[in-house]
Amino acid sequence: MADSSDERTTRRIRRAAVVGGLGLAVQLAAALHWTPMTFIISAAVGAPLVIVGGVMFLAAVWRNMRDKGAV
Amino acid sequence: MLPVQLIVALVAGIAIMALLFAGARSLGAQTVGRIVLLVGLLGLPLLLSVGNISFGVHESSTTHFCLSCHEMKRHGMSLFVDNRQALAAVHYQNRLVDRETVCYSCHKDYALFGDVTAKLNGLRHVWAHYIAGVPEKITLYKPYPNSNCLHCHDDMRRFVEGPAHRPLMDALYAGTTSCLSCHRIAHDMAKVDAGQLWQAH
Repeated sequence: MADSSDERTTRRIRRAAVVGGLGLAVQLAAALHWTPMTFIISAAVGAPLVIVGGVMFLAAVWRNMRDKGAV
Repeated sequence: MLPVQLIVALVAGIAIMALLFAGARSLGAQTVGRIVLLVGLLGLPLLLSVGNISFGVHESSTTHFCLSCHEMKRHGMSLFVDNRQALAAVHYQNRLVDRETVCYSCHKDYALFGDVTAKLNGLRHVWAHYIAGVPEKITLYKPYPNSNCLHCHDDMRRFVEGPAHRPLMDALYAGTTSCLSCHRIAHDMAKVDAGQLWQAH
Protein backbone atom coordinates (compact mmCIF):
# COMPACT_ATOMS: atom_id res chain seq x y z
CA MET A 1 0.00 0.00 0.00
CA ALA A 2 1.32 3.43 -0.94
CA ASP A 3 2.45 5.66 1.90
CA SER A 4 0.83 9.02 2.61
CA SER A 5 3.64 10.87 0.81
CA ASP A 6 2.78 9.05 -2.44
CA GLU A 7 -0.90 9.77 -1.89
CA ARG A 8 -0.17 13.45 -1.54
CA THR A 9 1.99 13.37 -4.65
CA THR A 10 -0.78 11.67 -6.60
CA ARG A 11 -3.24 14.34 -5.50
CA ARG A 12 -0.83 17.09 -6.50
CA ILE A 13 -0.18 15.52 -9.90
CA ARG A 14 -3.92 15.23 -10.47
CA ARG A 15 -4.37 18.89 -9.58
CA ALA A 16 -1.63 19.77 -12.07
CA ALA A 17 -3.39 17.65 -14.72
CA VAL A 18 -6.68 19.46 -14.06
CA VAL A 19 -5.08 22.91 -14.38
CA GLY A 20 -3.13 21.95 -17.52
CA GLY A 21 -6.21 20.26 -19.00
CA LEU A 22 -8.24 23.38 -18.28
CA GLY A 23 -5.63 25.41 -20.19
CA LEU A 24 -5.96 23.10 -23.18
CA ALA A 25 -9.76 23.27 -22.91
CA VAL A 26 -9.65 27.08 -23.06
CA GLN A 27 -7.43 26.86 -26.14
CA LEU A 28 -9.79 24.31 -27.71
CA ALA A 29 -12.81 26.55 -27.09
CA ALA A 30 -10.93 29.43 -28.74
CA ALA A 31 -9.96 27.28 -31.72
CA LEU A 32 -13.60 26.29 -32.24
CA HIS A 33 -14.62 29.93 -32.57
CA TRP A 34 -11.59 31.75 -33.92
CA THR A 35 -11.81 35.54 -33.51
CA PRO A 36 -9.27 38.19 -32.43
CA MET A 37 -10.69 38.11 -28.89
CA THR A 38 -10.70 34.32 -28.54
CA PHE A 39 -7.11 34.23 -29.80
CA ILE A 40 -6.08 36.65 -27.06
CA ILE A 41 -7.99 34.65 -24.44
CA SER A 42 -6.31 31.52 -25.73
CA ALA A 43 -2.84 33.07 -25.46
CA ALA A 44 -3.41 35.06 -22.26
CA VAL A 45 -5.43 32.50 -20.27
CA GLY A 46 -5.10 29.07 -21.89
CA ALA A 47 -1.34 29.02 -22.39
CA PRO A 48 -0.51 30.39 -18.89
CA LEU A 49 -2.80 27.75 -17.34
CA VAL A 50 -0.81 25.08 -19.16
CA ILE A 51 2.43 26.57 -17.83
CA VAL A 52 1.00 26.73 -14.29
CA GLY A 53 -0.07 23.07 -14.61
CA GLY A 54 3.46 22.14 -15.71
CA VAL A 55 5.02 24.02 -12.80
CA MET A 56 2.60 22.36 -10.37
CA PHE A 57 3.59 18.97 -11.77
CA LEU A 58 7.31 19.71 -11.39
CA ALA A 59 6.71 21.01 -7.86
CA ALA A 60 4.84 17.80 -6.97
CA VAL A 61 7.73 15.68 -8.25
CA TRP A 62 10.28 17.85 -6.43
CA ARG A 63 8.40 17.60 -3.13
CA ASN A 64 8.06 13.84 -3.50
CA MET A 65 11.78 13.50 -4.12
CA ARG A 66 12.55 15.74 -1.15
CA ASP A 67 10.20 13.77 1.13
CA LYS A 68 12.00 10.59 0.16
CA GLY A 69 15.42 12.12 0.69
CA ALA A 70 16.35 11.79 -2.98
CA VAL A 71 17.46 15.42 -3.17
CA MET B 1 -12.66 27.78 -41.67
CA LEU B 2 -12.05 25.71 -38.56
CA PRO B 3 -8.43 24.72 -37.84
CA VAL B 4 -9.28 21.02 -37.88
CA GLN B 5 -5.78 19.67 -37.23
CA LEU B 6 -5.35 21.99 -34.27
CA ILE B 7 -8.73 21.02 -32.83
CA VAL B 8 -8.01 17.30 -33.21
CA ALA B 9 -4.61 17.74 -31.54
CA LEU B 10 -6.11 19.68 -28.64
CA VAL B 11 -8.91 17.13 -28.16
CA ALA B 12 -6.34 14.32 -28.19
CA GLY B 13 -4.21 16.25 -25.69
CA ILE B 14 -7.13 16.73 -23.31
CA ALA B 15 -8.06 13.04 -23.63
CA ILE B 16 -4.48 11.99 -22.85
CA MET B 17 -4.40 14.28 -19.82
CA ALA B 18 -7.70 12.79 -18.60
CA LEU B 19 -6.21 9.31 -18.91
CA LEU B 20 -3.10 10.41 -17.01
CA PHE B 21 -5.34 11.94 -14.34
CA ALA B 22 -7.09 8.59 -13.90
CA GLY B 23 -3.89 6.57 -13.95
CA ALA B 24 -1.69 8.95 -11.96
CA ARG B 25 -1.38 6.61 -8.97
CA SER B 26 -0.29 3.50 -10.85
CA LEU B 27 1.91 5.42 -13.30
CA GLY B 28 3.66 7.20 -10.44
CA ALA B 29 4.67 3.85 -8.96
CA GLN B 30 6.88 2.83 -11.91
CA THR B 31 9.86 4.45 -13.61
CA VAL B 32 8.38 4.25 -17.12
CA GLY B 33 5.08 5.56 -15.76
CA ARG B 34 6.81 8.61 -14.31
CA ILE B 35 8.35 9.35 -17.70
CA VAL B 36 4.90 9.01 -19.27
CA LEU B 37 3.55 11.48 -16.70
CA LEU B 38 6.40 13.89 -17.42
CA VAL B 39 5.82 13.80 -21.16
CA GLY B 40 2.02 13.79 -20.90
CA LEU B 41 1.59 16.48 -18.27
CA LEU B 42 4.49 18.75 -19.17
CA GLY B 43 5.86 18.21 -22.68
CA LEU B 44 2.63 17.50 -24.56
CA PRO B 45 0.52 20.44 -23.30
CA LEU B 46 3.42 22.85 -23.76
CA LEU B 47 3.95 21.61 -27.31
CA LEU B 48 0.23 21.95 -28.07
CA SER B 49 0.18 25.47 -26.64
CA VAL B 50 3.16 26.53 -28.73
CA GLY B 51 1.45 25.07 -31.81
CA ASN B 52 -1.79 26.83 -30.96
CA ILE B 53 -0.16 30.24 -30.44
CA SER B 54 1.96 29.78 -33.55
CA PHE B 55 -1.19 29.05 -35.56
CA GLY B 56 -2.89 32.08 -34.03
CA VAL B 57 -0.01 34.42 -34.84
CA HIS B 58 0.02 33.16 -38.41
CA GLU B 59 -3.76 33.45 -38.67
CA SER B 60 -3.68 37.01 -37.33
CA SER B 61 -1.78 38.06 -40.46
CA THR B 62 -4.54 36.98 -42.82
CA THR B 63 -6.92 39.29 -44.64
CA HIS B 64 -10.05 37.63 -43.31
CA PHE B 65 -8.75 38.00 -39.74
CA CYS B 66 -8.24 41.78 -40.21
CA LEU B 67 -11.65 42.13 -41.81
CA SER B 68 -13.40 40.05 -39.13
CA CYS B 69 -13.99 43.27 -37.17
CA HIS B 70 -16.92 45.15 -38.68
CA GLU B 71 -15.03 48.46 -38.42
CA MET B 72 -12.75 47.20 -41.17
CA LYS B 73 -15.50 46.16 -43.59
CA ARG B 74 -15.32 49.38 -45.63
CA HIS B 75 -11.56 49.07 -45.88
CA GLY B 76 -12.08 45.51 -47.05
CA MET B 77 -14.55 46.71 -49.69
CA SER B 78 -11.97 49.26 -50.86
CA LEU B 79 -9.95 46.35 -52.25
CA PHE B 80 -12.66 45.94 -54.88
CA VAL B 81 -13.30 49.53 -55.94
CA ASP B 82 -13.16 50.39 -59.63
CA ASN B 83 -10.28 52.84 -59.41
CA ARG B 84 -6.91 52.14 -61.00
CA GLN B 85 -5.31 54.86 -58.88
CA ALA B 86 -6.38 53.54 -55.51
CA LEU B 87 -3.38 51.74 -54.03
CA ALA B 88 -5.21 49.06 -52.05
CA ALA B 89 -7.41 48.18 -55.02
CA VAL B 90 -4.54 48.11 -57.54
CA HIS B 91 -2.39 45.89 -55.34
CA TYR B 92 -5.24 43.51 -54.55
CA GLN B 93 -6.88 43.29 -57.96
CA ASN B 94 -3.60 42.89 -59.86
CA ARG B 95 -2.29 40.38 -57.32
CA LEU B 96 0.75 42.54 -56.59
CA VAL B 97 0.59 41.13 -53.06
CA ASP B 98 -0.70 37.83 -51.75
CA ARG B 99 -4.47 38.25 -51.42
CA GLU B 100 -4.48 36.09 -48.29
CA THR B 101 -2.32 38.62 -46.45
CA VAL B 102 -3.04 41.83 -48.31
CA CYS B 103 -3.61 44.06 -45.22
CA TYR B 104 -0.55 42.75 -43.47
CA SER B 105 1.69 43.06 -46.54
CA CYS B 106 1.24 46.84 -46.69
CA HIS B 107 0.55 47.69 -43.05
CA LYS B 108 3.45 46.01 -41.33
CA ASP B 109 6.87 47.60 -41.21
CA TYR B 110 9.69 45.62 -42.78
CA ALA B 111 12.16 46.60 -40.08
CA LEU B 112 13.71 44.24 -37.52
CA PHE B 113 10.73 44.39 -35.16
CA GLY B 114 8.10 45.05 -37.81
CA ASP B 115 6.18 41.86 -37.10
CA VAL B 116 6.23 42.41 -33.33
CA THR B 117 5.08 46.02 -33.72
CA ALA B 118 2.27 44.93 -36.03
CA LYS B 119 1.08 42.31 -33.53
CA LEU B 120 1.23 44.81 -30.65
CA ASN B 121 -0.79 47.24 -32.74
CA GLY B 122 -3.22 44.40 -33.32
CA LEU B 123 -3.66 44.14 -29.55
CA ARG B 124 -4.44 47.86 -29.47
CA HIS B 125 -7.06 47.29 -32.16
CA VAL B 126 -8.68 44.54 -30.10
CA TRP B 127 -8.61 46.82 -27.04
CA ALA B 128 -10.29 49.56 -29.06
CA HIS B 129 -12.84 47.16 -30.54
CA TYR B 130 -13.94 45.58 -27.26
CA ILE B 131 -13.08 48.07 -24.51
CA ALA B 132 -12.07 51.64 -25.39
CA GLY B 133 -14.23 52.12 -28.46
CA VAL B 134 -13.25 52.66 -32.06
CA PRO B 135 -12.44 56.25 -33.10
CA GLU B 136 -14.90 57.79 -35.54
CA LYS B 137 -12.20 58.19 -38.17
CA ILE B 138 -9.74 55.34 -38.48
CA THR B 139 -6.24 56.65 -39.11
CA LEU B 140 -2.71 55.27 -39.12
CA TYR B 141 -0.64 55.47 -35.94
CA LYS B 142 2.10 57.30 -37.85
CA PRO B 143 2.62 58.62 -41.38
CA TYR B 144 2.89 55.79 -43.88
CA PRO B 145 6.61 55.02 -44.28
CA ASN B 146 8.14 54.95 -47.77
CA SER B 147 10.22 51.98 -46.69
CA ASN B 148 7.09 49.81 -46.80
CA CYS B 149 6.57 50.72 -50.46
CA LEU B 150 10.26 50.43 -51.27
CA HIS B 151 10.43 46.97 -49.72
CA CYS B 152 8.88 45.71 -52.97
CA HIS B 153 9.23 48.62 -55.42
CA ASP B 154 12.88 49.29 -54.63
CA ASP B 155 14.34 47.51 -57.66
CA MET B 156 11.22 47.35 -59.84
CA ARG B 157 12.05 48.46 -63.36
CA ARG B 158 8.87 50.51 -63.70
CA PHE B 159 9.69 52.35 -60.50
CA VAL B 160 13.40 52.85 -61.13
CA GLU B 161 12.94 54.04 -64.72
CA GLY B 162 9.76 56.00 -64.10
CA PRO B 163 10.36 59.60 -65.24
CA ALA B 164 8.36 60.96 -62.31
CA HIS B 165 10.43 58.98 -59.81
CA ARG B 166 13.93 59.76 -61.07
CA PRO B 167 14.26 63.31 -59.76
CA LEU B 168 12.78 62.25 -56.43
CA MET B 169 14.79 59.13 -55.72
CA ASP B 170 16.95 60.59 -52.96
CA ALA B 171 13.99 62.23 -51.25
CA LEU B 172 11.95 59.03 -51.50
CA TYR B 173 14.72 56.94 -49.97
CA ALA B 174 15.35 59.54 -47.28
CA GLY B 175 11.64 59.66 -46.52
CA THR B 176 11.51 63.43 -46.90
CA THR B 177 8.98 63.10 -49.72
CA SER B 178 6.19 60.63 -49.14
CA CYS B 179 5.14 58.23 -51.89
CA LEU B 180 1.61 59.20 -50.90
CA SER B 181 2.20 62.81 -51.82
CA CYS B 182 1.66 61.72 -55.45
CA HIS B 183 -0.14 58.41 -54.97
CA ARG B 184 -2.74 60.09 -52.83
CA ILE B 185 -5.52 57.53 -52.69
CA ALA B 186 -4.76 54.52 -50.54
CA HIS B 187 -8.32 53.34 -49.89
CA ASP B 188 -11.00 54.92 -52.09
CA MET B 189 -13.78 55.21 -49.54
CA ALA B 190 -15.86 57.52 -51.73
CA LYS B 191 -16.25 54.78 -54.32
CA VAL B 192 -16.91 52.23 -51.60
CA ASP B 193 -19.79 54.37 -50.37
CA ALA B 194 -20.99 54.89 -53.94
CA GLY B 195 -20.83 51.15 -54.57
CA GLN B 196 -18.54 51.50 -57.59
CA LEU B 197 -16.82 48.17 -57.39
CA TRP B 198 -14.81 46.19 -59.90
CA GLN B 199 -16.30 42.84 -60.73
CA ALA B 200 -13.98 39.98 -61.56
CA HIS B 201 -15.39 37.71 -64.28
